Amino acid sequence: MLTGTVVEATGNGIRLDLSWVDYLMIIVYFAVVIGIGFIARTRVKSSMDFFLSGRSLPAWITGLAFISANLGATEILGMAANGAQIGMSTLHYYLIGAVPAMVFLGLVMMPFYYASRVRSVPEFMLRRFGKAPHIVNALAFAVSNVLIAGINLFAMAIVIEAMLGWPQWLAIVVSAAFVLAYITLGGLSSAIYNEVMQFFVIVAGLVPLTIVGLNRVHGWSGLTAALERTQSGKLLHAWAGTSIGDVTNPIGADWLAIVLGLGFVLSFGYWTTNFTEVQRAFSAKNMSAARRTPLIGALPKLFIPIITVIPGLIGAAVIGKALSGAGHSGLTYNSVIPKLMQMYLPSGVLGVAVTGLLASFMAGMAANVSSFNTVFTYDIWQRYIKRDRSDAHYLRVGRWVTVAGVLVGILTAFIAAGAQNIMTYLQTLFSFFNAPLFGVFIIGLLWKRMTTTAALWSYIAGILAPAAVFTAYQISVANKAPIFATATAETLYGAMISVGTVAIVAVVLSLVTKAKSDRELQGLVYGVGKIDLKGDAVVGDTAWYRSPALLGSVALVLCVVLYLPFL
Amino acid sequence: MPEQLSVDRRPTEEEKRRLIASTRRFDLRRILGALFLLYGVLTTIVGLVHGAADLTKTGGIAINLWAGIAMIVLGVLFLIWDRLSPVPEEDIVKILTQEDANEAADDAEGSR
Repeated sequence: MLTGTVVEATGNGIRLDLSWVDYLMIIVYFAVVIGIGFIARTRVKSSMDFFLSGRSLPAWITGLAFISANLGATEILGMAANGAQIGMSTLHYYLIGAVPAMVFLGLVMMPFYYASRVRSVPEFMLRRFGKAPHIVNALAFAVSNVLIAGINLFAMAIVIEAMLGWPQWLAIVVSAAFVLAYITLGGLSSAIYNEVMQFFVIVAGLVPLTIVGLNRVHGWSGLTAALERTQSGKLLHAWAGTSIGDVTNPIGADWLAIVLGLGFVLSFGYWTTNFTEVQRAFSAKNMSAARRTPLIGALPKLFIPIITVIPGLIGAAVIGKALSGAGHSGLTYNSVIPKLMQMYLPSGVLGVAVTGLLASFMAGMAANVSSFNTVFTYDIWQRYIKRDRSDAHYLRVGRWVTVAGVLVGILTAFIAAGAQNIMTYLQTLFSFFNAPLFGVFIIGLLWKRMTTTAALWSYIAGILAPAAVFTAYQISVANKAPIFATATAETLYGAMISVGTVAIVAVVLSLVTKAKSDRELQGLVYGVGKIDLKGDAVVGDTAWYRSPALLGSVALVLCVVLYLPFL
Repeated sequence: MPEQLSVDRRPTEEEKRRLIASTRRFDLRRILGALFLLYGVLTTIVGLVHGAADLTKTGGIAINLWAGIAMIVLGVLFLIWDRLSPVPEEDIVKILTQEDANEAADDAEGSR
């Protein structure tokens, strides 16, 4: 049986009707993934090979991996859900909430990271400030990442159960086993190769979905007409209703909060300090490639909304009522992509799309696991538990930590299945980790006077402040007098308060504690020592189209231009 | 600091040749090229065999045919790119010497 039945397509749920061709595509993909793991294994000779791909990868690979590590399936499904729910406001997450930060990482921060030869973001904390803030940072990162891996695993199991009919436990165990196999074998190289493949496959699956979807709603004009009719067209604007004091947009925040909270604090916090992404740039072959990594990643990021937000809008136009859960449809906004796949994609392209989704679920988890094992091995084990062992020892530890990380992930997934609320709170808690870290780093990079004590306590205060704001918001919601319009608005203001707290605590404590000497801060603070940007350049790095400044400018210009049709 | 250490053991020509060959054999562009060629051919065949049935679902677009052809083109482009600009030898050999430097740096750190 090769064709999907049309009757099924109009029914409830998102069960997909896969033919053997579709399964063949899935099987081929995962066979290739495991094959890459075995090939990569033959090249893993040192811990640097395992954790940072021996710093050998070209910029196009690390750039696409940089963006794919973020493009997990939970992200894709979630952003399409946002597209269906809040429409073009979702663009903020792709444009102002991503691109400026990625450009900043490539042009300003990467030189410090890469030139200092640190192997992880917490290690930069260690070099710039010292042990105390390093321990807090490394532990926070390791614990949150392994738990997030588990929460994502659970999210994946729900979708796989709904789409393919596998029981949740089977989906959890099978995908965890795949991730475990290819990361333990080939380390970061396996993870990155799979991320790049997944990027192309998910795009190859979502582009046909978008094309067919647009065709079914009679093109872009048909889509906008339908949305004007059913939703009074408010889904078609990103900046309308954001004036201060007159907030009517679905995010519930004015333009200043969007620019400062999302565009600056949250986004800079995530993209410049989250080791899961930044690790991809650390694995680049030289300074030039490392700087280009986030810039090359920014270019596809700009266009991904075409294949996530637009399907979300199509869903809103065609099955908007059902997606909001009306009439016991059994659907949520999160099911918009799988539902459209079921309705519009015939066997063949359906196989590509399902493969892409499965691959991006696993890539998301693999990204967490591969950054967790690096931080645990280098920043915790090597630094505080077993110093001065042979490199082979740390390579072995890295492999066992991967196994342990995946097992804890599985455990978390099963706990999440029973206690979803706790997991939601945990995830919110973890979201408090990035903004203060960015605050500490940016002040520490610009101001050589900032001290170790200041870093430790401003970082901790920057985690506690948004946690307090979040708690206050939860209480105010329970009392039916919310202090913020939406939960999203709460995170925007919470992040701004976090960085504000960091700044105040850091300045005050720095002034009363002893600063490090200039000698210790060589190449770690702006203006102290010089960073050689071209020392390791290879032939071709000087080509005009590889100039980081040019790539960054193009990304920023596109970031503005893409907003224009949807003001 | 790896860059301050002199590397005693230089990789032999044989080692270099083998590493270059294996790096290029498993270039990601080849893997991607092969994967998309296969996906493209499969999808095109499905599109040819089941063209009519597809149309009812897609509202008149032969999506399997178009997507199949596009994926074949993409696969071929990856293979051409791989052929036209293979990973430079210096880059691959650099990894070899860097590995040695890392080991040396590690030993140095260990003896400190």
